[in-house]
Amino acid sequence: MGFAAKGSITRRALLATGAAGLLIGAGAGRAQAATDPARDIIIPWYRLILELVRHTPTYSPPVASRAFAWLGITCHEAMAATRPGLQPLASQLRGVGAGPPADHACDPGAVLQGAMALAVPHFFGNTGPTGQRAMAAMDRRIHAAATDGLSAETATASITLGQAIARHVIAASASDGGDPVLNMGFPQDWPRRDAPDAWVPTSGIALQQAPLLPDWHKNRPFALPPGEFCALPVPPPYSDDPASEFQREMREVYEVSKALTEEQKIIARFWSDDPMLSPTPPGHWVWILLDIAERDALPADRLAEGLALLGIAIADGFIACWQQKYHHDYIRPVTAIRRAVDPAWEPLLITPPFPEYPSGHSTQSGAAAAVLIHLFGEDFAFEDATHVDDGLPVRSFTGFREAASEAAISRLYGGIHFRTAIEQGLDQGYCVGAHVTALRTRA
Amino acid sequence: MIRSATLLLIASPALADPPAAPRFAEETATSGVESRFTGDWDYMVGGGGAGFDCSGDGLPDLFLAGGAGPAGLWRNLSEPGGPLRFEPVADGPAMKAVTGAYPLDIDGDGITDLAVLRVGENLLLRGLGDCRFERANEAWGFDGGDGWTTAFAATWEPGNDWPTLAFGNYVDRREEAFPWGSCTENPLFRPVAGGGYAAPLMLEPAHCPLSMLFSDWDRSGRRDLRVSNDREYFKGGQEQLWRMEPGQPPRLYTAEEGWARLRLWGMGIASADITGDGYPDFYLTSMADNRLQTFPPDSGPGRPRYSDIAGRLGVTAHRPFTGDDVRPSTAWHPQFEDVNNDGRLDLFVAKGNVDKMPDFAERDPNNLLVQQEDGRFAEMADSAGVASMEIARGALVLDLNADGLTDLVVVNRRTPAQIWRNVTDGAGNWLAVALHQEGGNRDAIGSWIELRDAAGTQRREVLIGGGHVSGQLVPWHFGLGTATEAEVRVIWPDGSEGDWQRLEAGRLHRITR
Repeated sequence: MGFAAKGSITRRALLATGAAGLLIGAGAGRAQAATDPARDIIIPWYRLILELVRHTPTYSPPVASRAFAWLGITCHEAMAATRPGLQPLASQLRGVGAGPPADHACDPGAVLQGAMALAVPHFFGNTGPTGQRAMAAMDRRIHAAATDGLSAETATASITLGQAIARHVIAASASDGGDPVLNMGFPQDWPRRDAPDAWVPTSGIALQQAPLLPDWHKNRPFALPPGEFCALPVPPPYSDDPASEFQREMREVYEVSKALTEEQKIIARFWSDDPMLSPTPPGHWVWILLDIAERDALPADRLAEGLALLGIAIADGFIACWQQKYHHDYIRPVTAIRRAVDPAWEPLLITPPFPEYPSGHSTQSGAAAAVLIHLFGEDFAFEDATHVDDGLPVRSFTGFREAASEAAISRLYGGIHFRTAIEQGLDQGYCVGAHVTALRTRA
Repeated sequence: MIRSATLLLIASPALADPPAAPRFAEETATSGVESRFTGDWDYMVGGGGAGFDCSGDGLPDLFLAGGAGPAGLWRNLSEPGGPLRFEPVADGPAMKAVTGAYPLDIDGDGITDLAVLRVGENLLLRGLGDCRFERANEAWGFDGGDGWTTAFAATWEPGNDWPTLAFGNYVDRREEAFPWGSCTENPLFRPVAGGGYAAPLMLEPAHCPLSMLFSDWDRSGRRDLRVSNDREYFKGGQEQLWRMEPGQPPRLYTAEEGWARLRLWGMGIASADITGDGYPDFYLTSMADNRLQTFPPDSGPGRPRYSDIAGRLGVTAHRPFTGDDVRPSTAWHPQFEDVNNDGRLDLFVAKGNVDKMPDFAERDPNNLLVQQEDGRFAEMADSAGVASMEIARGALVLDLNADGLTDLVVVNRRTPAQIWRNVTDGAGNWLAVALHQEGGNRDAIGSWIELRDAAGTQRREVLIGGGHVSGQLVPWHFGLGTATEAEVRVIWPDGSEGDWQRLEAGRLHRITR
């Protein structure tokens, strides 16, 4: 079964089908592979990208998702340009179009390096001096490795092809509406809706008195058809009636917060994924994929198509989610609970500065899980070590659906979402994911 | 007892007059000071200076960091009330790789020494008088290390004649591709019997501080170490408060004790009792998110639970207040001083982009937030003439020409340091207080100076540290409004309370224990 065929494949099948040179290690341990220079180019670049997302102030989760999409596409197109059997994505994506023709004589690793060395600095052009220095250092290191042993002609042709692919992607990105992001994504003014269920600012930070990126849903999606946002039912109507659904959900958040178990606190913090303090929710899922790629020695073409589909799913998930957020303009738990129940209530997590419904982490996690299930199957155990450096534990999951559900419910434990936003968010994510998994990555 | 002092802040003749609008005249070109903080990535933070009297003439001299270029020492030649004039000190300390400096009398000989922070080996320079210094690392058993030092604070722990020195180090500068998470160790040097230092103990975990200070934050008599850390580089980090028990290793305050996790691009700390409750409030600079933390009335000793009142008091300073650049601000050195002598502390904040970061304002003016009668602050940097658009880092707010008005020195990245003379018309009365005691801690660091008049009570904690790699050891300045005298007392570092003394306005008073 081809990797990109409709339906899912198991990890075993995955490793058996395209993994020439793979030597599977014992048990569930780390597989060892014959060297795959192209994979060894993708992974360090992506490890750096995850840091750049964390350390570039404009990179809130929606902005991060856009970068992950375009960079994943860059990787896949680079691989498709050099390896037979791969289907370029460009012509299937809205507003992109076919890229440079394939040249199977080129070296995949050098093409990747040519592409990433151009694309990463472009999509992180506004990172600080440390990020700029790190990108330059990475370029020097990877370039030397990527061209080692190649003839000068092959190296030059490969780097040039990679650069052409990157330029094509960058040109397409210029018209998607996601750049530039001004004032860290916060408008100078925001006309508040005068209604009891309306979102109001939830922090004292001056910049956040207007919500984040209210026009993000106007960006051009990658795989969603025009006008398709996987729209959701309306959330429970605001009500002061103690018997109402709104009040019931509000009380649930409050009561859960008062009786959090240690496990629930860990879950909330594990999926908190705060911008500028973590790789963000999109980066969390990319981290998971990178760790799997390292553990299982995924071939570069499989990693690249995974990064492309995952990036697209998350990016389209945020566009769809943001359309619904600003359509419903719904109140956050902290506002409602302080108004009606406990003026001194503090949720465990920092409430994000934008409307509540649906939950963004839930939507994008559903979309991510849909893609990863498509690629790896339902029963695909993995460990998630995204936040080890920040002192949080490794968590184990039996599959992507379980992880997505935990990411979603974490927002209730954290006190920043009602249950409906979580459940509907997941549904919206799986809906978005279905559009993305319809893309063809193999001929 | 302390909290009841708040009630003294009542309407008074001094508060009835509108405060003078501060005004400064830039005298960079004529001052004789020619200094710039240069260098690339290794110097994207830092850029401070020290203000202290090394010549013995009573006027503050200046030591300014040069980054990749040489530092410089300038002797103050200003006439009282006259233009600011300096000359370079021949053969003064001019080493390279200096990020900042703090003056203090380390060996208790009555001559001010210098702690020089560097990219590379830190230096303790022993003052010899007449603005001469000698390297004292070896003589004092001080290991200057090889870090990227970006913070410093000093305190005299009980029973010690020499100060305890805390140094804050930034990232591992040799890490190119993945410097994030590579915060290096922060050494704490405690003195040994007879003077000098033993090997440091390390304040772990280290989270890349850009400012630190020792403060008796809960008025317990113990001076704990507050550290403001740069979240750009730490992983798993936060702001820190180290409890300092004599003879014991420092330990971090915990969430159970009330220390809430706060993660900022911490760049500078200013401390003063702004709310008048007897406890120091802390202004923390960051990027787009500056905080003014106050100690809520229902907190207690050993319970460091703070709330943010920056928005309520108008000191968020989160984006440029003038010019056409509306992107968020980048704040560095903060300092509370009374620039118009109305009896209310004002706040200066040095501003400047890290280095062409397009997400943040490139034309980012400094702030001069002047406290009003209602306790809120009003932006007056533009009208005062100090809204420089240079890329500022460290600063000193101090009286350079003995006229009772605090002048201003700002260290800029890559462009010349700027110097302004305070020429405020109609400023209020003032007095200044210098402390002296016998023993090692001759400048009585750790004291509290309390001043009361009809307008209420002002308090300053005498400390070394904070700001952004900039420190000053000069008399403590108090504005008096229309008052012509005030009562002053000193609570000395060991907690003993001096008598209230009636002091006249318009001059420096030396209070000796």
